[in-house]
Amino acid sequence: MSAIVQTHGLVKRYNGTLAVAGLDLAVEPGEIFGLVGPNGAGKTTTLRMLATLLRPSAGEAEIDGWSVTRNPDEVRRVLGFMPDVFGVYDDMKVWEYLDFFARCYGLPAAGRRRMVADLLELVDLGDRRDHYVQTLSRGMEQRLCLAQALVHDPKVLLLDEPASGLDPRARVELRELLRELRSLGKTILISSHILPELEELCTSVAIVDRGDVLAQGRVADIERRLRFGAVLRVRLLVEGEALEAARDRFAADADVASASILEDGTIELGFRGDDEAVARLLAESVSAGLPIVNFARAASDLEELFLQVTAPDRQPPEAA
Amino acid sequence: MNDSTTSTEMTDPPGRHELGGSTATASPARRWQSPLSALTRTAGGIGAVGVKELRGRMRGRRAFIILTIYLLLLGGFAWMVELIMERNYSFSFGGNGTYATAAIGQGIFAALLMLETLQVAFLAPSATAGAISMEREKQTLELLVVTPITSLAIVLGKLLSALVYVWLLIAASIPLTAVVFVYGGVAPEDVLRGYLVLVVTALGLGAFGLFCSSLVKRTQAATAITIFGVLVMTIGSVFVLIFWQAMASADNGQGSGPIAGAPPQAIAYLNPFLAQVDVLCGTETTFGGWCSIENGLLQTQTGVVFDGGPVPVPMPLVDPGFNRGGVFVDPEGQLVAGDVAPFGAARDAFWPKSVVAWLVVSLVLLVLTVQFVSPTRRWRLRRGRRNPEAAT
Repeated sequence: MSAIVQTHGLVKRYNGTLAVAGLDLAVEPGEIFGLVGPNGAGKTTTLRMLATLLRPSAGEAEIDGWSVTRNPDEVRRVLGFMPDVFGVYDDMKVWEYLDFFARCYGLPAAGRRRMVADLLELVDLGDRRDHYVQTLSRGMEQRLCLAQALVHDPKVLLLDEPASGLDPRARVELRELLRELRSLGKTILISSHILPELEELCTSVAIVDRGDVLAQGRVADIERRLRFGAVLRVRLLVEGEALEAARDRFAADADVASASILEDGTIELGFRGDDEAVARLLAESVSAGLPIVNFARAASDLEELFLQVTAPDRQPPEAA
Repeated sequence: MNDSTTSTEMTDPPGRHELGGSTATASPARRWQSPLSALTRTAGGIGAVGVKELRGRMRGRRAFIILTIYLLLLGGFAWMVELIMERNYSFSFGGNGTYATAAIGQGIFAALLMLETLQVAFLAPSATAGAISMEREKQTLELLVVTPITSLAIVLGKLLSALVYVWLLIAASIPLTAVVFVYGGVAPEDVLRGYLVLVVTALGLGAFGLFCSSLVKRTQAATAITIFGVLVMTIGSVFVLIFWQAMASADNGQGSGPIAGAPPQAIAYLNPFLAQVDVLCGTETTFGGWCSIENGLLQTQTGVVFDGGPVPVPMPLVDPGFNRGGVFVDPEGQLVAGDVAPFGAARDAFWPKSVVAWLVVSLVLLVLTVQFVSPTRRWRLRRGRRNPEAAT
């Protein structure tokens, strides 16, 4: 399968500040792809370039095979975009709002009425059809905006921080809605600085910071690949000097950065290696006769990884 | 969803087409961008934006209440002007006579036309001054721009829907203005001229408001700039004309002033009031007040009138009537027929220029507005174009 959203060396510079520094992304069709990073990482800039709202300073981005710079019109037809901050028109009823956007996409009058009804049903605003847009709650506005991004049945949805400002219930509803959209065959690109929000939802993520992708791929893959410096906890059946000897033995391993004995008698290893190195270490330890009771990674979720890879002291990409 | 896209994209990457969307090398499967379809697409977009804007503007009773109040005020004003005129002329024409009713008709026409010009001069630009900036402020413009709707359609939809309202007010006043035909002194083609100036000025000032709205981010600032612009075009242009003439005038016979030559008329092209003065000059039975104002500021009547500078035209040489053409006295003292008003004043000396100027300016402003609305094709005015590679 070829990627439906692709960027090659995407760069955006504002007055000499590098907002996006050569971003490479590839999103497969049917994915819910999370773009994760701290505030100011360049997520919004990236999405806005994909949405044809900003012209890249350099590099190329394609959506469904169309270039965002050379074929913005075609891109707009396959794309639904929901910005992080958006407003709604005053003085408009909910159905008029969707009808207006349907007109903007040139949808024929015959299908519009039915389509508006279906979309309102999908985003659970069916009973608000004749309400004025400005009377909706924040969560409803968000869903209306999502419905608006769907009027032309786009292949790709770009959602910039869709859950910001939503209460927990609205978040859950949004998540359900996105799952439903995925089952309808949409590819969804979603950005967030809140990881737990994406962790259960996304099939793939890219972690971005300072305009650069730090890691990209299936959530599980990333977790595996990024587990350098992971913490291993080893529990042995020995105490005292034997325990210290075991610790020294671990410390001598090339992949172990540090080894210490915790108060409860567990040895904690700062480990540099990948999963294979972990397996090797375990096998060697067992064959060396160490009575291992428990050998495990200290529980580490995506958030911890995220903090790790986006640590403030990380070297910034070459500045402009 | 269009599944054919995925297959086309493999063999013929559509992203590689020429800039400007030429149709020559395109894959036939996705060629919906012919000039005709681009046109219908823009028309559809104008319709979408127009319907949306008009829905907001015309919702409920508000628009009709405003229209009613407007007409009542205008009617009351016309009636009061009639009373003033009647009292003024009741003795100067002996309380009787064709000229008196003609003069009253002209007076009412002049008052109504000037009032409507004033209304257009402020209503048209303020109806559009928020159109784009409001969308930016409310952050709705982006939602609109990411649809395939063209920037031209957004701009024209906004402009036309605002103008429809202004034009509606103008049109609603036509029956009221037609009252002048009861009095006479004003020909239907004079009314037509006046309304042509109104309609075109509304278009031009509407385009000006829209341009300011696209240029400036905040609605308040856009409105202020727009109103300031209108003041410059009206009061400002008149002041510049007066100043120029004063500076160019002979200094007690001791040679000319610091500026040589008469001010160019172009200074006042965008002044709708002077254009209406020209229309009103065309209705006058003598070389009267409006013609004097016009000639004083724009010298439109020089060369038409007599040796020795502008002097009051004598009483009619022909019957007062509404036939174009007529007779005037040339410098040799001969009666000459020409395309002038019956009593010597040149007709249509200025307003057609104003109308043409507004049409040209509207076009230029619309092109600029489209550029400012378009997100990626925006011209960079402040910073020079930078080579993207150069600064890496």
